[in-house]
Amino acid sequence: MMKIQEIRELIKLIDESSIDEFKFEQNGSKVTMKKYSEQPLSQNVSLAEPVKPIPSEVPQAESPVKQEAVEKPAASEPAAKNDEKTAEPDENLHTITSPMVGTFYEAPSPDSSAYVKKGDKVNQESVVCIVEAMKLMNEIESEVNGEIVDILVENGQLVEYGQELFLVKPE
Amino acid sequence: MKGKVLKLLRQNDSAFLSGEKISNELNCSRTAVWKHIKALRDEGYDIIAVQNKGYQLTKSAYLLSEHDIYSRIKKNDLFENVVYHNSVTSTQTVAQQLANEGVSEGTVVVADEQTGGKGRLGRVWDSEKGSGVWMSLVLKPQIDFRKAPQLTLLTAVAVTRAIESVSGLPLSIKWPNDLLVNGKKLCGILTEMQADPDRVQSVIIGIGLNVNHGAFPEDLSEIATSMNIEAGKPFNRAEVIAAILNEFSWLYRTYLSQGFSLIKPLWEAHAVSIGKKIVARSTAGTTEGYALGIDGEGVLLLQDNQGETHRIYSADIELK
Repeated sequence: MMKIQEIRELIKLIDESSIDEFKFEQNGSKVTMKKYSEQPLSQNVSLAEPVKPIPSEVPQAESPVKQEAVEKPAASEPAAKNDEKTAEPDENLHTITSPMVGTFYEAPSPDSSAYVKKGDKVNQESVVCIVEAMKLMNEIESEVNGEIVDILVENGQLVEYGQELFLVKPE
Repeated sequence: MKGKVLKLLRQNDSAFLSGEKISNELNCSRTAVWKHIKALRDEGYDIIAVQNKGYQLTKSAYLLSEHDIYSRIKKNDLFENVVYHNSVTSTQTVAQQLANEGVSEGTVVVADEQTGGKGRLGRVWDSEKGSGVWMSLVLKPQIDFRKAPQLTLLTAVAVTRAIESVSGLPLSIKWPNDLLVNGKKLCGILTEMQADPDRVQSVIIGIGLNVNHGAFPEDLSEIATSMNIEAGKPFNRAEVIAAILNEFSWLYRTYLSQGFSLIKPLWEAHAVSIGKKIVARSTAGTTEGYALGIDGEGVLLLQDNQGETHRIYSADIELK
């Protein structure tokens, strides 16, 4: 039977590799891991997130639970699927997500005011924040005309690829 | 045209070049040649004219001008469009405007002085007149923009190689792209990107390099240095600029065709932090440990005291 630590190690190794699918069998235990092929960069799994203890020894043919655990960090849902996650009942809200891993900045400098705050009107080209990685400052635009109804992250926070940053009520 | 005249004179360094030859070479009248020579002299170039012999450039003043830069840019370099200003608030701002107006890739904005030089996160970059290389490169790479941060490491390699070839100074890179000599900062690189979700619109790389500063104010002298201070002699900034553009051109082309795999070892060869104890500070917190190196994407790998490896995307690095 594999230890949780070993499975963690495996997840990490496979995640950093170009292997898409991995199966391992020992004494009746089976581990199967799959990566989403449409997520070519494996940035998101990087941060040593606590992986849920998974009953890896369950001798089932295929184990969808494990898969989920592997994919979970990477599977930040695209904007379209957010309805169930957001508390807002309005399912027409547009979600601005982070296009990369990095630090979220709400303002161009610590002394200046935030690009946007709740209730601000934005248009498609409005810069709403900066995400910085390796000293590359990426200005994120709103992409829709509308009103900022919620800001989901804190200034200076590390954000993941695909993480939700803002909710915009389109107009 | 002035640049072409200067280029010919420079190529002919030690000998005289006849006005006739210049006029043939550039397909213009000898009167026109004489006018350009006069204009160059007015800018401070010491050009001797001897009857029946021609013109000779005796010494290159430590001036900076568009045609001087142009005259030194190598054939087939990426940067054919040099936009020069005596003084701007920030070359970064000018380059961004040009990029928005649709200027082509391979444009470089250079200024002799910046009145509002930008560092990261609104920090001020001290860029006094006549002393440094303040420039911004406009790029429009067709790459996955999640890879765009690699360009900041590539730029660090390009500038390092260029400075070493011009001056022989030993440079080291502090992740991701601060350039140090003897532990003091010589050059800072700021990259700003505009991108749609599916493609990069433009990447503007700002380079602030201290060249001919004789000294820094007290509050900076402990942390900043210049090529002049370190090498004990001033440098021609146009030559430095041309060297950077030349190094950048081939590295960038190599990167576009072959990816980060060649850039990585070149970066690592100059990296000061690898194997050393470092502190990574960000607004999200502080992590201390040993720098293991960078991964295939340029992300810093840091092993903390518990033996756990962290991938650092964004932080200020301090060497312990």
